[in-house]
Amino acid sequence: MAAVEIHQFAECITCHAWSPDQSMIAFCPNNTEVHIYKLLADKWEKVHVLYKHDQIISGIDWSVNSNKIVTVSHDRNSYVWSQEASEWVPTLVILRLNRAALCVQWSPKENKFAVGSGAKTVCICYYEQENNWWVSKLIRKKHNSSVTSVAWHPNNVLLATTSTDGKCRVFCTFIKGVDKRDLGEGSSNDLKFGEQIAQLDLSVTWAFGVRWSPSGNTLAYTGHNSMVYFIDDVESSPSAQTLALRDLPLRDILFLSERVVIGVGFDCNPMVFTADETGLWSFVRYLDERKVAPTSSKGSQFSEALGKLYGQSKQSTSNDTVEPSKFRGGAHANCITCIVLLRRSAATTVKRFSTSGLDGKIVIWELDNSIDIQQPGYR
Amino acid sequence: MQANTLRLYLTCIRNTLEAAMCLQNFPCQEVERHNKPEVELKTSPELLLNPVLICRNEAEKCLIETSINSIRISMKVKQADELENILAKKFLRFLSMRAEAFQVLRRKPVQGYDISFLITNYHCEDMHKHKLIDFIVQFMEDIDKEISELKLSVNTRGRLVATEFLKQFI
Repeated sequence: MAAVEIHQFAECITCHAWSPDQSMIAFCPNNTEVHIYKLLADKWEKVHVLYKHDQIISGIDWSVNSNKIVTVSHDRNSYVWSQEASEWVPTLVILRLNRAALCVQWSPKENKFAVGSGAKTVCICYYEQENNWWVSKLIRKKHNSSVTSVAWHPNNVLLATTSTDGKCRVFCTFIKGVDKRDLGEGSSNDLKFGEQIAQLDLSVTWAFGVRWSPSGNTLAYTGHNSMVYFIDDVESSPSAQTLALRDLPLRDILFLSERVVIGVGFDCNPMVFTADETGLWSFVRYLDERKVAPTSSKGSQFSEALGKLYGQSKQSTSNDTVEPSKFRGGAHANCITCIVLLRRSAATTVKRFSTSGLDGKIVIWELDNSIDIQQPGYR
Repeated sequence: MQANTLRLYLTCIRNTLEAAMCLQNFPCQEVERHNKPEVELKTSPELLLNPVLICRNEAEKCLIETSINSIRISMKVKQADELENILAKKFLRFLSMRAEAFQVLRRKPVQGYDISFLITNYHCEDMHKHKLIDFIVQFMEDIDKEISELKLSVNTRGRLVATEFLKQFI
């Protein structure tokens, strides 16, 4: 369990994504470039640098089947990169945004992707063969503030978003000519593009990090008030569960399975949440063991002696110093902003995922769900 | 007793800062291609959190205003008499004029306060959060000490000068 690999790739990483076979990693080192590293003879080496954006890159996603990278940036643009021979070639995306793009995700079928933006809109982009570019359809006037996170339902039609107005919304993104109506779906069949299916007002402050469970039955997101929200059956009869944390708020979450969720955020330490048989979610433990720092005695022997020399005057002042704040984290030293699942052969029970944060590290974690998850209450 | 209340005051500030300093990069919603501290602009009310005011007494307080990408900490320093008032004013003005050297110091204090700090997400990316908090708390702890030391030395010097001056009349 715990951290398997720790790589210090940069000073600060905003987001990262893995290639389909996990031999390459793409990340943004908090500037306008995307760096792609490859594992060559047990060493990670920089193989490509993608330049095209002119402001910080806020989102990267690498599609599993079509091997394309989509990047979005604060400069209001987005590019889809595809590999031709040894080069990465960008394709223009007509986002029609007038504010920064904040997050991006490929749809499960990889024929669309969604971009959340600071213009209070969501763009659903799809490829137009005749022009050789990606065009977007906008979901307008539904959000009252920036869209911080987007997540696709496994059915390729429903999209969940979170926003700094504190709401989580679910939209239908059916696009004629791109999606097929399959009649087996049921309720979401007669909906038009951009129709709002649900609006969840659980959080009183900014909401982040929305995700669907692998089956699409459960939706989870986090609030800046250190809460995690789990919603079952969003389409038909939503039932919500809120979980308050005792520590700092989360930034992003990840479903490892229907019953296991990992949350990352300002605590610099991934948290594990699990649901029991009745579907009741609870916090289990931190993934990274915190080393208990040795309580340092106040001042050195010298300063103590000096204090005696000064007739206790210095000594008494050292008494009202407040103990210094504790250093958070272990593997990560700053806020974790991004968590990505590492797909492996389905046979193993070991679950792997990677996290990146403002400290510039990418950490790969391994969770053996047969052992770890059955230790409740441990901290 | 006095030392104890100072410690409580500082611990309270430290814990508040610990919770409030959860900042992230956030581009401006109102102006294209801009990225400004929201706590200064206050253009989108939904991006601001409720300000926290921590008071030790009437003369000593600390206001912590938080937004999604920045936090502003303003404090009022104890000034018991006119001499302390002048010393505090001069000393803090000296520091404010050298704000670049401190990075997180604001050039002008917020109205009604003696000194203000502005911490943005960029500071949190470059520096350790716990060190930043330690700096603020250490600053608050030292400022009182500094001013009372200044006051003492002014008084001592005054006494010395007066003695020297009066010697000629003996």
